[in-house]
Amino acid sequence: MKSDYDIIVIGGGPAGSTFARIAAKEGREVLVIDKRKEIGNPVRCGEGLGAKEVVDMGLDVPKQAISENILGAKIIAPNGKAITWKEDSGSTGGWVLERKIFDKWLCELAVDEGAEIRTYTRATDLVKENGKIAGVKIKQWGNDEHEIRAPLVVSAEGMEAQIARKAGFNTVHKLYDVDTCYQYEMKNYDSEKMIELYFGNKIAPRGYVWVFPKKDKRANVGIGIGGATVNGDKHGIPGAEPKKLLDDFIKNHEQLKDASTLDDFGGVISVGAPLDSFVTDNFMVIGTAAKQVDPLHGGGITLAMEAGALAANTALKAKEKGYTKDSMMEYEETWKKTSGDAVNKRLKLRHVLEKVTDDDINHIFNVITPEDLNKITSGNFAETVAKVVAGRPQLVGILGGLLKK
Amino acid sequence: MIRIRHEGCILCAGCASVCPTGALELVGNKIEYYPEKCIKCGTCVKVCPAAVIRLEKEAKK
Repeated sequence: MKSDYDIIVIGGGPAGSTFARIAAKEGREVLVIDKRKEIGNPVRCGEGLGAKEVVDMGLDVPKQAISENILGAKIIAPNGKAITWKEDSGSTGGWVLERKIFDKWLCELAVDEGAEIRTYTRATDLVKENGKIAGVKIKQWGNDEHEIRAPLVVSAEGMEAQIARKAGFNTVHKLYDVDTCYQYEMKNYDSEKMIELYFGNKIAPRGYVWVFPKKDKRANVGIGIGGATVNGDKHGIPGAEPKKLLDDFIKNHEQLKDASTLDDFGGVISVGAPLDSFVTDNFMVIGTAAKQVDPLHGGGITLAMEAGALAANTALKAKEKGYTKDSMMEYEETWKKTSGDAVNKRLKLRHVLEKVTDDDINHIFNVITPEDLNKITSGNFAETVAKVVAGRPQLVGILGGLLKK
Repeated sequence: MIRIRHEGCILCAGCASVCPTGALELVGNKIEYYPEKCIKCGTCVKVCPAAVIRLEKEAKK
Protein backbone atom coordinates (compact mmCIF):
# COMPACT_ATOMS: atom_id res chain seq x y z
CA MET A 1 0.00 0.00 0.00
CA LYS A 2 1.06 3.55 -0.72
CA SER A 3 2.48 5.51 2.18
CA ASP A 4 3.02 8.96 0.64
CA TYR A 5 0.20 11.32 -0.31
CA ASP A 6 -0.35 15.00 -0.95
CA ILE A 7 -3.14 15.16 1.61
CA ILE A 8 -4.43 12.87 4.37
CA VAL A 9 -8.03 13.44 5.48
CA ILE A 10 -9.08 11.92 8.81
CA GLY A 11 -12.79 11.08 8.75
CA GLY A 12 -15.10 10.11 5.89
CA GLY A 13 -18.17 12.13 6.90
CA PRO A 14 -19.63 14.97 4.80
CA ALA A 15 -16.75 17.39 5.57
CA GLY A 16 -13.95 14.93 4.79
CA SER A 17 -15.44 13.44 1.66
CA THR A 18 -16.30 16.89 0.27
CA PHE A 19 -12.75 18.06 0.85
CA ALA A 20 -11.34 14.87 -0.70
CA ARG A 21 -13.57 15.09 -3.78
CA ILE A 22 -12.52 18.65 -4.61
CA ALA A 23 -8.82 18.12 -3.92
CA ALA A 24 -8.68 14.83 -5.85
CA LYS A 25 -10.45 16.37 -8.81
CA GLU A 26 -7.55 18.80 -9.18
CA GLY A 27 -5.08 15.95 -9.25
CA ARG A 28 -4.00 15.83 -5.61
CA GLU A 29 -3.27 12.40 -4.19
CA VAL A 30 -5.68 12.16 -1.29
CA LEU A 31 -6.12 9.44 1.32
CA VAL A 32 -9.24 9.42 3.50
CA ILE A 33 -9.19 7.19 6.56
CA ASP A 34 -12.24 6.40 8.68
CA LYS A 35 -12.21 4.45 11.92
CA ARG A 36 -15.66 3.01 11.34
CA LYS A 37 -16.20 -0.35 9.68
CA GLU A 38 -18.63 1.17 7.24
CA ILE A 39 -18.89 4.74 5.98
CA GLY A 40 -22.02 6.37 7.39
CA ASN A 41 -22.66 3.70 10.00
CA PRO A 42 -23.60 4.01 12.84
CA VAL A 43 -25.79 7.03 12.17
CA ARG A 44 -25.41 9.63 14.92
CA CYS A 45 -27.78 12.25 13.61
CA GLY A 46 -31.41 13.26 13.10
CA GLU A 47 -30.74 13.20 9.35
CA GLY A 48 -32.51 16.51 8.61
CA LEU A 49 -30.97 18.84 6.06
CA GLY A 50 -31.85 22.03 4.19
CA ALA A 51 -32.00 20.96 0.56
CA LYS A 52 -31.21 24.31 -1.02
CA GLU A 53 -27.64 24.56 0.19
CA VAL A 54 -26.75 21.13 -1.15
CA VAL A 55 -28.43 21.75 -4.49
CA ASP A 56 -26.51 25.05 -4.69
CA MET A 57 -23.27 23.09 -4.39
CA GLY A 58 -24.12 21.49 -7.71
CA LEU A 59 -24.58 18.02 -6.26
CA ASP A 60 -27.21 15.70 -7.67
CA VAL A 61 -28.21 13.73 -4.59
CA PRO A 62 -29.44 10.24 -5.51
CA LYS A 63 -33.10 9.52 -4.82
CA GLN A 64 -32.44 6.68 -2.44
CA ALA A 65 -30.40 8.98 -0.17
CA ILE A 66 -33.42 11.26 0.31
CA SER A 67 -35.92 9.57 2.56
CA GLU A 68 -38.53 12.33 2.56
CA ASN A 69 -39.10 15.75 1.04
CA ILE A 70 -40.16 18.06 3.83
CA LEU A 71 -42.81 20.71 3.28
CA GLY A 72 -42.31 22.69 6.46
CA ALA A 73 -42.06 22.61 10.21
CA LYS A 74 -44.47 22.52 13.09
CA ILE A 75 -43.20 23.91 16.37
CA ILE A 76 -45.16 22.92 19.44
CA ALA A 77 -45.21 24.84 22.74
CA PRO A 78 -45.46 23.16 26.15
CA ASN A 79 -49.24 23.87 26.24
CA GLY A 80 -49.71 22.17 22.88
CA LYS A 81 -50.15 25.25 20.72
CA ALA A 82 -48.41 24.80 17.39
CA ILE A 83 -46.91 27.28 14.98
CA THR A 84 -46.82 25.95 11.44
CA TRP A 85 -44.17 27.20 9.10
CA LYS A 86 -44.38 26.14 5.45
CA GLU A 87 -41.94 26.59 2.62
CA ASP A 88 -43.09 28.84 -0.23
CA SER A 89 -44.54 26.64 -2.90
CA GLY A 90 -41.99 25.82 -5.55
CA SER A 91 -38.92 26.43 -3.42
CA THR A 92 -36.65 23.57 -2.44
CA GLY A 93 -37.46 22.79 1.15
CA GLY A 94 -35.76 20.32 3.41
CA TRP A 95 -34.91 16.69 3.32
CA VAL A 96 -34.75 13.90 5.79
CA LEU A 97 -31.85 11.81 4.59
CA GLU A 98 -30.81 8.22 4.77
CA ARG A 99 -27.39 9.14 6.15
CA LYS A 100 -25.87 5.73 5.52
CA ILE A 101 -26.61 6.08 1.82
CA PHE A 102 -25.84 9.81 1.67
CA ASP A 103 -22.43 9.57 3.35
CA LYS A 104 -21.38 6.58 1.31
CA TRP A 105 -22.44 8.31 -1.89
CA LEU A 106 -20.35 11.39 -1.00
CA CYS A 107 -17.35 9.13 -0.42
CA GLU A 108 -17.93 7.35 -3.71
CA LEU A 109 -17.86 10.72 -5.49
CA ALA A 110 -14.43 11.33 -3.94
CA VAL A 111 -13.23 7.91 -5.07
CA ASP A 112 -14.56 8.63 -8.57
CA GLU A 113 -12.30 11.69 -8.64
CA GLY A 114 -9.29 9.60 -7.63
CA ALA A 115 -9.23 9.76 -3.83
CA GLU A 116 -8.45 6.61 -1.86
CA ILE A 117 -10.54 5.62 1.15
CA ARG A 118 -9.66 3.14 3.88
CA THR A 119 -12.26 2.12 6.46
CA TYR A 120 -11.73 0.54 9.89
CA THR A 121 -8.55 2.60 10.00
CA ARG A 122 -7.86 5.07 12.74
CA ALA A 123 -5.23 7.72 13.13
CA THR A 124 -3.33 7.12 16.35
CA ASP A 125 -0.88 10.02 16.32
CA LEU A 126 0.68 12.80 14.31
CA VAL A 127 3.98 12.22 12.54
CA LYS A 128 6.37 15.14 12.92
CA GLU A 129 9.58 15.95 11.11
CA ASN A 130 11.81 18.76 12.38
CA GLY A 131 8.90 19.85 14.56
CA LYS A 132 6.53 20.12 11.61
CA ILE A 133 3.47 17.96 10.97
CA ALA A 134 4.39 15.53 8.22
CA GLY A 135 1.72 12.83 8.34
CA VAL A 136 -0.10 10.50 10.70
CA LYS A 137 0.36 7.10 12.25
CA ILE A 138 -2.47 4.83 11.28
CA LYS A 139 -3.76 1.52 12.53
CA GLN A 140 -5.91 -0.47 10.19
CA TRP A 141 -7.82 -3.32 11.81
CA GLY A 142 -5.74 -6.48 11.52
CA ASN A 143 -2.58 -4.65 10.42
CA ASP A 144 0.32 -3.16 12.31
CA GLU A 145 0.47 0.53 13.09
CA HIS A 146 2.51 2.42 10.53
CA GLU A 147 3.28 5.90 9.25
CA ILE A 148 1.65 7.62 6.32
CA ARG A 149 3.21 10.83 5.11
CA ALA A 150 1.70 13.94 3.60
CA PRO A 151 2.52 17.66 3.79
CA LEU A 152 -1.11 18.42 4.69
CA VAL A 153 -3.26 16.63 7.27
CA VAL A 154 -6.95 17.52 7.46
CA SER A 155 -8.98 16.72 10.55
CA ALA A 156 -12.59 15.96 9.64
CA GLU A 157 -12.85 13.78 12.72
CA GLY A 158 -16.22 14.93 13.97
CA MET A 159 -17.02 15.27 17.66
CA GLU A 160 -14.06 13.33 19.04
CA ALA A 161 -11.29 15.11 17.12
CA GLN A 162 -8.40 13.42 18.92
CA ILE A 163 -5.75 14.16 16.29
CA ALA A 164 -6.78 17.81 16.09
CA ARG A 165 -6.22 17.93 19.86
CA LYS A 166 -2.72 16.62 19.33
CA ALA A 167 -2.17 19.35 16.75
CA GLY A 168 -2.97 21.93 19.42
CA PHE A 169 -6.66 22.67 18.90
CA ASN A 170 -9.01 22.77 21.87
CA THR A 171 -11.51 20.23 20.61
CA VAL A 172 -12.65 19.02 24.04
CA HIS A 173 -16.34 19.79 24.58
CA LYS A 174 -17.60 21.19 27.86
CA LEU A 175 -20.81 19.63 29.18
CA TYR A 176 -22.56 22.99 28.89
CA ASP A 177 -21.68 23.20 25.21
CA VAL A 178 -23.16 19.88 24.14
CA ASP A 179 -26.60 18.39 23.81
CA THR A 180 -26.96 14.72 24.50
CA CYS A 181 -29.39 12.94 22.21
CA TYR A 182 -31.23 9.64 22.09
CA GLN A 183 -33.22 8.64 19.07
CA TYR A 184 -35.41 5.88 17.68
CA GLU A 185 -36.20 5.11 14.11
CA MET A 186 -39.90 4.26 14.33
CA LYS A 187 -42.71 2.89 12.21
CA ASN A 188 -45.85 3.29 11.76
CA TYR A 189 -46.11 7.03 11.63
CA ASP A 190 -48.49 8.86 9.31
CA SER A 191 -46.84 12.20 8.70
CA GLU A 192 -47.89 15.39 6.95
CA LYS A 193 -44.32 15.63 5.62
CA MET A 194 -43.63 18.25 8.25
CA ILE A 195 -40.87 18.08 10.79
CA GLU A 196 -42.23 18.51 14.31
CA LEU A 197 -40.31 20.11 17.16
CA TYR A 198 -41.67 19.94 20.70
CA PHE A 199 -40.43 22.42 23.29
CA GLY A 200 -40.74 22.54 27.04
CA ASN A 201 -38.53 22.13 30.07
CA LYS A 202 -40.48 19.09 31.22
CA ILE A 203 -40.37 17.43 27.79
CA ALA A 204 -36.75 18.23 27.03
CA PRO A 205 -34.83 20.52 29.40
CA ARG A 206 -32.82 23.05 27.39
CA GLY A 207 -33.56 21.17 24.19
CA TYR A 208 -36.39 19.67 22.24
CA VAL A 209 -37.97 16.51 20.92
CA TRP A 210 -38.06 16.08 17.16
CA VAL A 211 -40.10 13.93 14.82
CA PHE A 212 -38.55 13.74 11.36
CA PRO A 213 -40.70 11.76 8.91
CA LYS A 214 -39.05 9.27 6.56
CA LYS A 215 -40.41 7.17 3.73
CA ASP A 216 -42.49 4.02 4.24
CA LYS A 217 -44.17 5.49 7.34
CA ARG A 218 -40.91 5.61 9.25
CA ALA A 219 -39.74 8.55 11.38
CA ASN A 220 -36.72 9.54 13.40
CA VAL A 221 -38.03 10.40 16.84
CA GLY A 222 -35.35 11.87 19.03
CA ILE A 223 -34.57 14.03 21.99
CA GLY A 224 -31.68 16.35 22.66
CA ILE A 225 -31.19 17.89 26.09
CA GLY A 226 -28.52 20.17 27.45
CA GLY A 227 -25.45 18.23 28.56
CA ALA A 228 -25.31 20.09 31.87
CA THR A 229 -28.97 19.37 32.65
CA VAL A 230 -28.53 15.62 32.72
CA ASN A 231 -29.38 13.77 35.89
CA GLY A 232 -26.44 13.15 38.15
CA ASP A 233 -24.63 16.44 37.72
CA LYS A 234 -24.96 18.69 40.75
CA HIS A 235 -26.66 21.24 38.50
CA GLY A 236 -28.68 18.52 36.85
CA ILE A 237 -32.41 18.07 36.82
CA PRO A 238 -33.65 14.94 38.61
CA GLY A 239 -35.01 12.45 36.12
CA ALA A 240 -33.42 14.15 33.12
CA GLU A 241 -32.04 11.23 31.16
CA PRO A 242 -32.48 11.43 27.41
CA LYS A 243 -33.78 7.91 26.87
CA LYS A 244 -36.23 8.07 29.78
CA LEU A 245 -37.59 11.45 28.72
CA LEU A 246 -37.98 10.26 25.16
CA ASP A 247 -39.81 7.13 26.29
CA ASP A 248 -42.16 9.34 28.35
CA PHE A 249 -42.81 11.59 25.37
CA ILE A 250 -43.63 8.63 23.13
CA LYS A 251 -45.93 7.08 25.74
CA ASN A 252 -47.97 10.28 25.76
CA HIS A 253 -48.03 10.82 22.00
CA GLU A 254 -51.29 9.95 20.27
CA GLN A 255 -49.74 8.20 17.27
CA LEU A 256 -46.28 7.20 18.40
CA LYS A 257 -47.36 5.29 21.48
CA ASP A 258 -48.40 2.38 19.28
CA ALA A 259 -45.48 2.62 16.83
CA SER A 260 -42.60 0.14 16.69
CA THR A 261 -38.91 0.94 17.06
CA LEU A 262 -36.54 -0.19 14.29
CA ASP A 263 -33.29 1.27 15.55
CA ASP A 264 -31.84 2.86 18.67
CA PHE A 265 -29.24 5.49 17.99
CA GLY A 266 -28.08 8.85 19.22
CA GLY A 267 -25.19 11.12 19.76
CA VAL A 268 -23.73 14.06 21.50
CA ILE A 269 -23.71 17.25 19.49
CA SER A 270 -21.84 20.48 19.79
CA VAL A 271 -24.02 23.52 20.42
CA GLY A 272 -21.27 25.86 21.54
CA ALA A 273 -18.95 28.27 19.78
CA PRO A 274 -16.70 27.21 16.89
CA LEU A 275 -12.96 26.83 17.49
CA ASP A 276 -10.97 30.08 17.62
CA SER A 277 -8.84 28.96 14.72
CA PHE A 278 -9.07 26.21 12.12
CA VAL A 279 -5.58 26.11 10.63
CA THR A 280 -1.98 25.75 11.65
CA ASP A 281 1.10 24.83 9.63
CA ASN A 282 0.40 21.68 7.59
CA PHE A 283 -2.93 21.09 9.35
CA MET A 284 -6.57 22.08 8.87
CA VAL A 285 -9.69 21.34 10.92
CA ILE A 286 -13.08 21.20 9.16
CA GLY A 287 -16.70 20.48 10.03
CA THR A 288 -17.85 19.26 13.43
CA ALA A 289 -14.21 18.74 14.48
CA ALA A 290 -13.92 22.55 14.27
CA LYS A 291 -17.26 22.83 16.13
CA GLN A 292 -18.81 24.29 12.99
CA VAL A 293 -22.31 23.30 14.06
CA ASP A 294 -25.57 25.23 14.27
CA PRO A 295 -25.93 25.99 18.00
CA LEU A 296 -29.72 26.20 17.79
CA HIS A 297 -30.53 22.78 16.38
CA GLY A 298 -27.16 21.03 16.37
CA GLY A 299 -27.25 20.43 12.61
CA GLY A 300 -23.85 20.16 11.00
CA ILE A 301 -24.08 18.52 7.57
CA THR A 302 -24.41 21.66 5.46
CA LEU A 303 -21.83 23.60 7.46
CA ALA A 304 -19.48 20.64 7.17
CA MET A 305 -19.82 20.42 3.40
CA GLU A 306 -19.41 24.17 2.96
CA ALA A 307 -16.31 24.19 5.15
CA GLY A 308 -14.94 21.13 3.33
CA ALA A 309 -15.29 22.89 -0.01
CA LEU A 310 -13.88 26.18 1.24
CA ALA A 311 -10.91 24.47 2.92
CA ALA A 312 -10.17 22.34 -0.17
CA ASN A 313 -10.14 25.33 -2.48
CA THR A 314 -7.81 27.15 -0.10
CA ALA A 315 -5.55 24.10 0.21
CA LEU A 316 -5.25 23.78 -3.56
CA LYS A 317 -3.70 27.25 -3.68
CA ALA A 318 -1.56 26.71 -0.58
CA LYS A 319 0.44 23.79 -1.96
CA GLU A 320 3.20 25.87 -3.53
CA LYS A 321 3.58 27.82 -0.29
CA GLY A 322 4.16 24.60 1.62
CA TYR A 323 0.77 24.60 3.41
CA THR A 324 1.90 27.20 5.92
CA LYS A 325 -0.65 28.60 8.33
CA ASP A 326 -0.57 31.97 6.57
CA SER A 327 -1.22 30.40 3.19
CA MET A 328 -4.33 28.64 4.55
CA MET A 329 -5.86 31.53 6.50
CA GLU A 330 -8.20 32.34 3.63
CA TYR A 331 -10.37 29.37 4.64
CA GLU A 332 -10.59 30.51 8.24
CA GLU A 333 -11.20 34.17 7.47
CA THR A 334 -13.83 33.49 4.83
CA TRP A 335 -15.64 31.03 7.07
CA LYS A 336 -15.77 33.46 9.97
CA LYS A 337 -17.17 36.22 7.76
CA THR A 338 -19.90 34.04 6.25
CA SER A 339 -21.09 30.98 8.16
CA GLY A 340 -19.36 32.09 11.36
CA ASP A 341 -21.36 35.27 11.58
CA ALA A 342 -24.66 33.36 11.30
CA VAL A 343 -23.51 30.77 13.83
CA ASN A 344 -22.63 33.47 16.37
CA LYS A 345 -26.04 35.11 16.07
CA ARG A 346 -27.73 31.78 16.62
CA LEU A 347 -25.48 31.07 19.59
CA LYS A 348 -26.72 34.27 21.19
CA LEU A 349 -30.28 33.13 20.61
CA ARG A 350 -29.56 29.76 22.20
CA HIS A 351 -28.09 31.34 25.31
CA VAL A 352 -31.24 33.42 25.71
CA LEU A 353 -33.74 30.68 24.94
CA GLU A 354 -32.35 28.33 27.56
CA LYS A 355 -33.27 30.83 30.27
CA VAL A 356 -37.00 31.01 29.54
CA THR A 357 -39.64 29.09 31.46
CA ASP A 358 -42.45 26.99 29.99
CA ASP A 359 -44.91 29.83 30.69
CA ASP A 360 -42.61 32.19 28.78
CA ILE A 361 -42.49 29.79 25.83
CA ASN A 362 -46.29 29.51 25.83
CA HIS A 363 -46.54 33.30 25.75
CA ILE A 364 -43.97 33.61 22.98
CA PHE A 365 -45.79 31.02 20.85
CA ASN A 366 -49.01 32.95 21.36
CA VAL A 367 -47.73 36.20 19.91
CA ILE A 368 -45.21 35.28 17.24
CA THR A 369 -45.91 34.32 13.65
CA PRO A 370 -44.01 32.17 11.13
CA GLU A 371 -42.55 35.41 9.70
CA ASP A 372 -41.14 36.23 13.12
CA LEU A 373 -39.49 32.81 13.14
CA ASN A 374 -37.84 33.59 9.82
CA LYS A 375 -36.54 36.86 11.19
CA ILE A 376 -35.17 35.61 14.48
CA THR A 377 -33.48 32.53 13.04
CA SER A 378 -31.64 34.78 10.61
CA GLY A 379 -30.53 37.11 13.39
CA ASN A 380 -33.03 40.00 13.17
CA PHE A 381 -34.37 40.09 16.68
CA ALA A 382 -35.62 43.62 17.32
CA GLU A 383 -39.24 43.61 16.08
CA THR A 384 -40.05 40.20 17.46
CA VAL A 385 -38.52 40.93 20.84
CA ALA A 386 -40.56 44.16 21.07
CA LYS A 387 -43.74 42.23 20.31
CA VAL A 388 -43.03 39.51 22.88
CA VAL A 389 -41.94 41.89 25.63
CA ALA A 390 -45.01 44.11 25.15
CA GLY A 391 -47.21 41.37 26.59
CA ARG A 392 -44.74 40.01 29.12
CA PRO A 393 -42.50 42.77 30.48
CA GLN A 394 -40.71 40.39 32.85
CA LEU A 395 -38.90 39.02 29.80
CA VAL A 396 -37.12 42.33 29.16
CA GLY A 397 -34.12 41.27 31.19
CA ILE A 398 -33.67 37.99 29.35
CA LEU A 399 -34.61 38.93 25.80
CA GLY A 400 -32.93 42.34 26.01
CA GLY A 401 -29.65 40.45 25.69
CA LEU A 402 -30.51 39.70 22.08
CA LEU A 403 -30.45 43.38 21.19
CA LYS A 404 -27.00 44.13 22.56
CA LYS A 405 -24.21 44.28 20.04
CA MET B 1 -12.45 3.21 36.84
CA ILE B 2 -15.56 3.49 34.76
CA ARG B 3 -17.66 0.58 33.62
CA ILE B 4 -19.49 0.54 30.31
CA ARG B 5 -22.45 -1.77 29.79
CA HIS B 6 -21.64 -2.37 26.13
CA GLU B 7 -24.88 -4.20 25.35
CA GLY B 8 -26.80 -0.95 25.91
CA CYS B 9 -24.30 1.25 24.06
CA ILE B 10 -25.58 2.91 20.91
CA LEU B 11 -22.06 3.75 19.68
CA CYS B 12 -22.67 7.49 19.57
CA ALA B 13 -19.19 8.15 20.99
CA GLY B 14 -20.51 11.08 23.01
CA CYS B 15 -18.32 9.91 25.88
CA ALA B 16 -15.25 10.16 23.68
CA SER B 17 -16.25 13.68 22.55
CA VAL B 18 -16.30 15.07 26.08
CA CYS B 19 -13.47 13.01 27.58
CA PRO B 20 -10.74 15.54 28.41
CA THR B 21 -7.94 12.97 28.28
CA GLY B 22 -8.83 10.74 25.33
CA ALA B 23 -9.47 7.73 27.57
CA LEU B 24 -12.45 6.68 25.47
CA GLU B 25 -12.49 6.03 21.75
CA LEU B 26 -14.85 4.50 19.23
CA VAL B 27 -12.95 1.78 17.38
CA GLY B 28 -14.96 -0.08 14.78
CA ASN B 29 -18.12 -1.14 16.55
CA LYS B 30 -17.01 -0.75 20.16
CA ILE B 31 -16.08 1.95 22.63
CA GLU B 32 -12.56 1.26 23.83
CA TYR B 33 -11.60 2.42 27.32
CA TYR B 34 -8.00 3.16 28.28
CA PRO B 35 -8.03 3.16 32.12
CA GLU B 36 -4.45 4.43 32.34
CA LYS B 37 -5.57 7.75 30.79
CA CYS B 38 -8.78 8.07 32.85
CA ILE B 39 -8.91 10.79 35.52
CA LYS B 40 -12.33 9.66 36.84
CA CYS B 41 -13.95 13.06 36.23
CA GLY B 42 -17.31 11.46 35.40
CA THR B 43 -18.10 13.69 32.42
CA CYS B 44 -18.74 10.67 30.22
CA VAL B 45 -21.20 9.33 32.80
CA LYS B 46 -23.24 12.53 32.62
CA VAL B 47 -23.25 12.85 28.86
CA CYS B 48 -24.10 9.27 27.90
CA PRO B 49 -27.59 9.42 26.34
CA ALA B 50 -28.14 5.73 27.00
CA ALA B 51 -26.94 5.96 30.62
CA VAL B 52 -24.70 2.90 30.29
CA ILE B 53 -21.55 4.33 31.89
CA ARG B 54 -20.98 4.20 35.64
CA LEU B 55 -18.13 5.39 37.82
CA GLU B 56 -16.90 2.55 39.99
CA LYS B 57 -14.98 2.67 43.21
CA GLU B 58 -11.54 1.07 43.07
CA ALA B 59 -11.68 -2.57 44.11
CA LYS B 60 -10.27 -3.12 47.61
CA LYS B 61 -6.95 -4.89 47.57
